[in-house]
Amino acid sequence: MPKVIQYRNKCIGCGICYELQPRLWRMSRKDGKANLVGGVNHKGVYILSSKTYQPFSDAVEQSCPVNAIKIA
Amino acid sequence: MATSKKVEVLAPAGSFESLAAAIQAGADAIYFGAEQLNMRARSSTAFSTHDLEEIVTRCHAAGVKAYITLNTILYDHDMQLMRKIMDAARKQGVDAAIVSDHAALNYGKSIGMPLHISTQANISNIEAVEFFAAYADVMVLARELSVKQVAKITRQIKRKRITGPSGNLVRIEVFAHGALCMAISGKCYLSLHSHYASANRGACVQNCRRQYLVTDKEDGHEYEIDNEYIMSAKDLCTIDMLDEIIQADVSVLKIEGRGRAADYVYTVTKCYREAVQAIFSKQFTPEKITTWKQQLATVYNRGFWEGYYLGRKLGEWSTTSGSVATDRKVYLGQGNRYFPKINIAEFQLETGKLNVGDKIMIISKHQGIQTETIHELRVNGHTAKESVKGDAVSFYCTNKISKGDKLYKIIETEYA
Repeated sequence: MPKVIQYRNKCIGCGICYELQPRLWRMSRKDGKANLVGGVNHKGVYILSSKTYQPFSDAVEQSCPVNAIKIA
Repeated sequence: MATSKKVEVLAPAGSFESLAAAIQAGADAIYFGAEQLNMRARSSTAFSTHDLEEIVTRCHAAGVKAYITLNTILYDHDMQLMRKIMDAARKQGVDAAIVSDHAALNYGKSIGMPLHISTQANISNIEAVEFFAAYADVMVLARELSVKQVAKITRQIKRKRITGPSGNLVRIEVFAHGALCMAISGKCYLSLHSHYASANRGACVQNCRRQYLVTDKEDGHEYEIDNEYIMSAKDLCTIDMLDEIIQADVSVLKIEGRGRAADYVYTVTKCYREAVQAIFSKQFTPEKITTWKQQLATVYNRGFWEGYYLGRKLGEWSTTSGSVATDRKVYLGQGNRYFPKINIAEFQLETGKLNVGDKIMIISKHQGIQTETIHELRVNGHTAKESVKGDAVSFYCTNKISKGDKLYKIIETEYA
């Protein structure tokens, strides 16, 4: 099952992931960083294993300017 | 001299090492970012709001002012974080926040936080100064103004008696040294277009610093343009015209470089501090300028020019992708301990070699920078001429070192 992984501490809150895939991401109003919707927290690394994952996420991985997002 | 008031040398502090180096070198004030809402969001050594107390305590103990940068573009989702940073800065006694977004301006004013207007606001005329005077006591002018234009603005501030919230005349800050952006005062979208990495969120990938080919669309031929990095401006260096800048009644001289190493911060701050003192004591001589320029060339630089201050329309472009510094530092290892009675420091060599005759630099989070030449070396307790990776080496050091301090060897580069 494909996974979306977010290294959240690296996030600079630029919002590009949310712009590209608004269903997968939310911008936190608390600390201004992106939240991975449905992501499970593993010591600060958020992982989403999703059957509904779409190939479009690759664009999100490549667009994150600080490489905080990986698709595995 | 048009002014006798103190000119502030404002140094960058992107890490605790740089902070220590700036204080050691005689900075009057330092600026730093915390969390992601500053123009060096990418930095791995970024501070958090938890570091504010230590930063302020260390600065104020040394009589140095501390300014926090909060000058990115702000989105709706950033508001709470912006307020949190501003509140923490106010609470911890940070001397001012450097802002450009109107939301930060508005909030800072509402809580009584002293504000400086960032160069990102592109202040280029007296009416903009009048507008921002309702919010800020210090304004950084756009980097593209000539020194004449700067002087005209400061003259009008005095003539019109434009005062900031403190009731004092608005003070003008300019960039004195460091990297220049190819775009107007940092308002660049190149990196955003090519890599989704917004320079205005501190994520610039610096693709202007690369070489480019021009393609003839008709026949597909590719051309290199004179082997130059056509978008990469050389670095700003104003040390030889600093008297003119001070004559223009500039109050604060900003040194760029929160992404630079501590030795860079130390060398540049020290040179500019000395230059300012020399100007006021009428000892600003060509010989001294030559010495400062030589020292400035030892640390990271892309070659120097005087920026737009003399009214030049076109920039000077760098000839390499990286630095043309005359010195390079090579990491060797970390500090173990210090024997204060005999001034001997012991380091663990993690990589490379250290020999008698080598010039070394130690960078410390607490003490800043010190350089030494190795005259005598003890390796694993015995006198030796050479040492290799894995050895515990000890040698004379004038000042204290701490565990974890970083040891580097200084090597002359091909540009020396």
